[in-house]
Amino acid sequence: MTRLTRALGTVFAVLVGLFLIAPVAVTVASSLTTTSYVTFPPQGITLRWYAEVFGKPEFLSSFVLSAGVALAAAAISAVVGLAGGLAIHRYRFPGRGALEAVLSSAFAVPTIVLGIGLLQWFAQMGLASSPLTLLLAHLVLTVPYAVRLVLAGLAGLDRSAEKAAAGLGAPPFLVFWHVTLPAVRGALVGGAFFAFITSFDDLTVALFVVTTDLQTLPVRIFNYMQYDYDPTVTAIGTLMVLFAVVAVVVIERFVGVARLFGADTDHK
Amino acid sequence: MKTRTTRQEGERSMSTSTTEMAADPSARRGRLRLDGVRKVLGGKEVVSAVDLETEPGEFLTLLGPSGCGKTTTLNMVAGHLSADGGVIEVDGTDVTGTPPHRRSMGMVFQSYALFPHMTIADNVAFGLRMRKVPAAARRRQVEEVLEMAGLEGMAGRHPRQLSGGQQQRAALARALVIQPDLLLLDEPFSNLDAQLRVRLREEVVALQRRIGTTTILVTHDQEEALAVSDRIAVMADGVIHQLDRPREIYLRPATDFVAQFIGEVNALDGTATGGDTCEVAGARVGATPVGDPPAPGACVRVYVRPEVVRVQTGGDGLTGTVRETRFLGSRIRCVVATGAGDVTAALPFDARVPAEGEEVTCAWRPSDASLATR
Repeated sequence: MTRLTRALGTVFAVLVGLFLIAPVAVTVASSLTTTSYVTFPPQGITLRWYAEVFGKPEFLSSFVLSAGVALAAAAISAVVGLAGGLAIHRYRFPGRGALEAVLSSAFAVPTIVLGIGLLQWFAQMGLASSPLTLLLAHLVLTVPYAVRLVLAGLAGLDRSAEKAAAGLGAPPFLVFWHVTLPAVRGALVGGAFFAFITSFDDLTVALFVVTTDLQTLPVRIFNYMQYDYDPTVTAIGTLMVLFAVVAVVVIERFVGVARLFGADTDHK
Repeated sequence: MKTRTTRQEGERSMSTSTTEMAADPSARRGRLRLDGVRKVLGGKEVVSAVDLETEPGEFLTLLGPSGCGKTTTLNMVAGHLSADGGVIEVDGTDVTGTPPHRRSMGMVFQSYALFPHMTIADNVAFGLRMRKVPAAARRRQVEEVLEMAGLEGMAGRHPRQLSGGQQQRAALARALVIQPDLLLLDEPFSNLDAQLRVRLREEVVALQRRIGTTTILVTHDQEEALAVSDRIAVMADGVIHQLDRPREIYLRPATDFVAQFIGEVNALDGTATGGDTCEVAGARVGATPVGDPPAPGACVRVYVRPEVVRVQTGGDGLTGTVRETRFLGSRIRCVVATGAGDVTAALPFDARVPAEGEEVTCAWRPSDASLATR
């Protein structure tokens, strides 16, 4: 590689980085403006809009709702993903092919279509809008991811290792605990992580499911922006970014984000 | 990976020093008995009525092509597959319905099957942990068995940091540390390159002889089977065709399948004349009957290996004309056209080489050939 191509490569990488980071930077910067409208670059520096956020209890309750539903979606996706992945990978049962097809095609359904469908469906079933319906809606989005990830994890597991463990005296549960589970641990954490982000970020599906009393944070922001486009929304945006950064750091600490995405980091 | 395997193998091999692992021969256990064991998979009977009995401390090989039922049989012995019929006994105890974790069998797989997230020491200690061996004793035994497997200093590594040969040694150590009744080896050398395969297999045999654990090896490699086994069971289509010592399996095959599967063979059709003789193309030849001697007049087939055929002028035997001779380095291949078809002889390097077209007699010792009814 010549020096020129290397330099061009570096420039390209920097540009891509800037392109990705710019919107976030603009949001963060403009949340500090002293003007009462969103502007970039910010004029002056103030934390007033953050005070505004904390002065509006509806934002806090929306955050609690969003985070709660996202946590539940993450936990349930991991468990259902594990069970579903194991079932599809291990057993031949009637409807297995159909189940797998449905789980794969779920990715292809536009979320707005899903939202309309769920709206109809919940109405037909007489399910009133509640955190539970929201959670069910999000699980439709997140479970297929989790199952896919678990299937990928299981594909990398040598069944002989399970036989070896059994032969060494491990009853079925301990085989699962010591051999199977570690093989899909990354997939489970990854599935849960994706589920959390998907649920926490979702606007499209939530718009159809929520009511005025029950609004997730993205819906709250969306509605707020339609009437008041002041820097409060950019302040909330910044807080959400901060929240995400903390989450990534915590996961990095315990699992390693690179491993979540399947990178092989074990070559020491 | 392959190249790394050879390079990293290092100088260490399995230690031959005596350790606590060496069993007292009088206390030897591990008598496996299969009685009419069957298995049906996907509507097809893949193992049909297999009978087998090992001596304690024996090294027995199940040899056959893929799909012959040898691995299925091994998995039934280990308990990973349930038998659809028959009885599996270990030292007189019926284990047919016993789940694998309650059978005391160490198993080694072609893929090594080490636990990737555990260190080598933790892998080896796994069976001891399941047996609730206290930590101190566990550490001592792991250290001991790792030394025996030539893996000193590898305890803290992860499986993927080891070469293929080292991984298989670790798998062997893991299987042996629990002092199993039976050691089950499922194509354990197949993933290794040729040189390492031979070396590791010699080490395994030496180790097995020393600690005296009854061992069942599954392989499709006939040379490997001949080299390591006390006895070989040749399997095809779910049945054992012949169960005997390597020399008998090679020199006196019982069926067409055994004869063809292992090496090259001359199969000559003839008529029994009683005892260990028969008539082939007008000549009287000798061969050892498989089972009871066939009645005079019965249609028989003589199996004789090229290596045992002598090509001479005159004397008793099957006469014919030399059709071709080929120098093959270690042997000289000589094809003689006889009344019973071509007979191939692999003559020793220093034998007199007959000229092509020469009239010769093919002869062999009756004990070096087999006689089967057809």
